[in-house]
Amino acid sequence: MYAPPTHGTIRQVLSGIASLGKGLWITLAYMFRKPITVQYPEKRVVLPLRFRGRLMMPIDQDKGTTRCTACMRCVKICPNHSIDIEKATGPDGEPLARPAKYLYNLGTCMFCNLCVEVCPFFALVMSDEHELATTNKSVLVLDLVAEKHRLTGKKASWWQKKFRGTEEAG
Amino acid sequence: MKLLYDLFYNTDVVFEGWRAAAHQSWAARGWPTVILDALLQLGWAAAAAVFLAVNALFIIWFERKVAARMQLRRGPNRVGPWGLLQTLADTGKLLIKEDIIPDAADRAVFRAAPILVLVSTFLLFVVLPFGKGLVPADLNVGLVYFLAIGGLSVIGILAGGWASNNKYSLMGGMRSAAQIVSYEVPAVLTVLSVALLAGSLRMGDIVRAQPAYGYVLLQPVGFVLFLIASNAEINRGPFDLPESDSELVSGFVTEYSAMRFAFFFLAEYTNLFLAGAFAATLFLGGWRGPLLPPVVWFLLKSYFVVFILIWVRWTFPRLRVDHLMAFSWKVLLPLALLNLVVTAVLVKVL
Repeated sequence: MYAPPTHGTIRQVLSGIASLGKGLWITLAYMFRKPITVQYPEKRVVLPLRFRGRLMMPIDQDKGTTRCTACMRCVKICPNHSIDIEKATGPDGEPLARPAKYLYNLGTCMFCNLCVEVCPFFALVMSDEHELATTNKSVLVLDLVAEKHRLTGKKASWWQKKFRGTEEAG
Repeated sequence: MKLLYDLFYNTDVVFEGWRAAAHQSWAARGWPTVILDALLQLGWAAAAAVFLAVNALFIIWFERKVAARMQLRRGPNRVGPWGLLQTLADTGKLLIKEDIIPDAADRAVFRAAPILVLVSTFLLFVVLPFGKGLVPADLNVGLVYFLAIGGLSVIGILAGGWASNNKYSLMGGMRSAAQIVSYEVPAVLTVLSVALLAGSLRMGDIVRAQPAYGYVLLQPVGFVLFLIASNAEINRGPFDLPESDSELVSGFVTEYSAMRFAFFFLAEYTNLFLAGAFAATLFLGGWRGPLLPPVVWFLLKSYFVVFILIWVRWTFPRLRVDHLMAFSWKVLLPLALLNLVVTAVLVKVL
């Protein structure tokens, strides 16, 4: 909506010039500040806990294996069909509640975090790994079970708190 | 040692001595001195060309650095110390890139346009005093020459915009023509008031006629008007409508690539330096200053004004087309006229 000017012309012109000066002052002041750029390959920032790097299936220290039960929920929810699970089988060929292979296609993953959110057993975690470029497409399909990744540091305790908290409550 | 001192502080005496000696030995052999004069002019041209290239390399790096710091970035810092060689690397890239001429383009004009723009820029060095006697030709109509040649680049820009046969190029060229013609008027009027104060159109005389603090204090309005007008004439800062990226892709340079693009780029940054250099010469006392050699003073003042122009460019958003025209004709022109009249009266009275 058009607002009629509240000042006379001369005051408008003067306040306009003053605002130009204000703008110039701001850029000049910023020039003497320290740049906020992090010189990436040499220096790195500490990533936030919920950073979405590539998918990981960490080993649970208490169980000694992954927490996955091969319930296939992540396979169903994945919008890009990036996940494929082969269930482990018992001696008579009956399927067991754990994966033999957990095939994760990094090439089609869009890091939406849906698999992590849907997992009822907190078996999945988005890791900090983000330098994922490769010249060879065939290395993009990863078996997360065979990887036997162990989380360490803050991310590990953040992850463990999720399911330990629920076990106490349940 | 004495020669080195004289070379920096009494350049005019040294150069005049050399010129006279060369003339004498040339005449002694019975050769026509016209040829020697032509050769000496060629020497000046070569020096100006080298300066033009080196200055552009530096000034582009300087602008990128300043812009980066104003946005809390670091700017180029990988190629060479502090990224100083970044522009050199970019130049190498531009040299080996493919030179594309669009099928529908007017080939002859398309090729001529970047050269026209650069030549009109290059010609301005003729009257620019870098120091005592460090001027290719101190014409007695120096100021008129500066204004006339300065307005010439619009032909090249318009030709480039037209010859590209592209709507964005054409609009950029047209805008540029309108803008340069409009802002030439206040620029001429402010420069005229300087000429009134100095009583001469010769650059050397204007520099010498200035008080130690320059004409800025006598012509504060004139200085600001000149900065605004010349900033608009070199198509930069908030007045970069001819190549406004967000509406015209790149304006008149849209279809240009490789060396032809580099020519436009070179001309643009040389024009930036020239705007600073002429502002320094006309308002800040040119090469005059205590202690330091004249050349150093001249470059310091020029790059100071260049910094102001860069500062303004990275602070203000672009003007709208009609505002741009209105600003020139309704604000700058009356102010410049008023400034001229007041100056004329005061010069007569005092």
